[in-house]
Amino acid sequence: MGKFVQLVVDGLSTGSVYAALALAIVLVHQATGLINFAQGGMAVLSAYAVWWLTNRGLPLVAAILVAIVLSVVFGALVERWLMRRFERGDPDTAVVVTIGLLTLITGFAGWLWTYNNQQFPSLFPLDTVSFLGVSVSVRSLGTTAVIVVAMLLLQGLFVGTKLGLALRAVAINPQSAAFCGLPVGRLLMVGWGLAAALGAVAAVLVAPQLTLTPGMLDNALVYALAAVILGGLTSPIGVVIAAWIIGILENLAAVYVPFIGFDLKVAVPFILIFVVLIVRPQGLFGRKTVVRV
Amino acid sequence: MASSPKTSSPKTSASKTSASTTSAPTSSATTSSASSFRQRPWVRWGAPLLLVAGLAVLPLVMTEGANDTLARIGVFAVAVLGLNVVMGYTGQVSLGQIFFLGLGAYVTAYGVQSGWNIVLVFVLTCLIPAVAGLVVALAAARLGGLAIAMVTIALPIVGVPLAKRLSDFTGGSQGLSARFVEAPEGSGLYDDQWQLYLVLVIGGIVFLMTSLLVRGKYGRAFAIVKGNENVASSMGISPYRYKVLAFTIASLIGGVSGFLYMVVVQYTSPETMSFGHSIELLVAMVIGGAGSIVGSLLGGAFYVIVPDVTNAIDPSLTALLQGALLLAVLFVLPGGLVSLPRALMRRLRRSPAGRGSAAPPTTPSSTPGSGTAAEQSETERQGHA
Repeated sequence: MGKFVQLVVDGLSTGSVYAALALAIVLVHQATGLINFAQGGMAVLSAYAVWWLTNRGLPLVAAILVAIVLSVVFGALVERWLMRRFERGDPDTAVVVTIGLLTLITGFAGWLWTYNNQQFPSLFPLDTVSFLGVSVSVRSLGTTAVIVVAMLLLQGLFVGTKLGLALRAVAINPQSAAFCGLPVGRLLMVGWGLAAALGAVAAVLVAPQLTLTPGMLDNALVYALAAVILGGLTSPIGVVIAAWIIGILENLAAVYVPFIGFDLKVAVPFILIFVVLIVRPQGLFGRKTVVRV
Repeated sequence: MASSPKTSSPKTSASKTSASTTSAPTSSATTSSASSFRQRPWVRWGAPLLLVAGLAVLPLVMTEGANDTLARIGVFAVAVLGLNVVMGYTGQVSLGQIFFLGLGAYVTAYGVQSGWNIVLVFVLTCLIPAVAGLVVALAAARLGGLAIAMVTIALPIVGVPLAKRLSDFTGGSQGLSARFVEAPEGSGLYDDQWQLYLVLVIGGIVFLMTSLLVRGKYGRAFAIVKGNENVASSMGISPYRYKVLAFTIASLIGGVSGFLYMVVVQYTSPETMSFGHSIELLVAMVIGGAGSIVGSLLGGAFYVIVPDVTNAIDPSLTALLQGALLLAVLFVLPGGLVSLPRALMRRLRRSPAGRGSAAPPTTPSSTPGSGTAAEQSETERQGHA
């Protein structure tokens, strides 16, 4: 029983990391209607920034804050100088652009910092706490807590502020938003910047476990995309719940299903996607989008 | 976009279909001098014959290294061609093509090691990846938009640990090797020459059949599904069915390329179908030219030659260079390398005419962001015609 609870808590924490990445993807999709396959790569770049800064003697928390700011700037610049040109064109071309960006970032990180694994300092101690007779790791609890707080902040931004209102307006209808005098271009940059910041938080939290490599988040990207499909592209809450379900299920399957084990647990979201796509193609929580001809 | 005004929508869709039906005459009109040369009977029959004769002689006169490189280019040109069927012609981004190459290679290796008849092995190498592709597509194509990309990205990432796990069939991390292509006795050929002939013949047949496919009824249906799914379904063409069909054909061609891979490389491991290779295949396709037969050949050449060149300079630069090249091509030459001659011709023709007024800085096809929807669809057609 204790092992089971431990697995669930650990699953919740990895699920939170997927959820953050998936939310970043949904954020970009709602603003610009495309899937950013480079979201994980951009997050890895942020993690490298933190690693580089801490190696220069900066305290970890300060380095993370600096890296988050840098990520916002980087995300905004990518939107302005790379994606802007392809946003109104063919969505497939835009997707290929994000794949090119992923290749470029991975190649850049590999060239600059090699493809070797780098040790990454952990934000949380490696202790466990006993809770009702069950010991769970502080890191899992801390990771989950930080990401839940980040999500609540984001929700507050979207619901409670004028900036959030403007961002939502652009997401719903860019043309009408422009007619109302909103600076659509700049708001899209803000959206990409926020998504990059969210990805940076996810990368920093998961990097100690995975150790830092240029392809660190390739697997996590698959999980995040699975969460996006399962939750439905239109439902941020659905995406978060789906990510948690995936995190917990893969952890349980790795231990309790002998054939899957730890090396094949990446197949779990894939199987889930299959079942859901056959039974409920719009996702567990998504709405069916109806497009007029 | 759902937000486009209702009144303008039928117009755009009508102009899109008209653009697709009239694209052939307009393009032939603009290049009338070139096409009349191409229409002459001795050119029409002579050029392919000359090509075949050249390819038949080439393996005999080239060095062993050049033969090997050319054979590998052939292998990956076939893989890129498969990707082009689903992505270039049907407009569905697929990130899993390498998985089908790997699957085909494993089926071949396992069949050869078990001592099966080579014809049976080849048939299975076509069938098993095609069935796998069909199953994946049946699920993935149900969700519109980019779902195929989001699902197929998982194929290489699941495929590698799966291949390691099923070590009874795949030999685990060590992989499988199979030597089954040896030059027949009495032919006087070396093994590398024989391998290249096999790749040329099988790859040539696949290219021929695919070019017939995409020019015929199915190719037109693929083009409409790519252009506008709603128009396609209003014309009685089910986008779902044609997406599944395109993906299945792409998987089958991927399987054939896996067979050719075993002919040339004679060894496969889980690394064959890694995520990085899958991305490289897509990069090669876009740089060669999406929706183009010749572009697939160029893509295969890119896939093989660029890593060879960068490895000679600095192996860690390969990914960086590929990403940068892909973005540069998308910015400057969205049609890929295959559209380079046409883009150059257009620029040459325009520069004397546009000298009076302000000359536009770029070619129309490289500015997808500007213009109305109708104009956009036309430039897109020209780019992929």
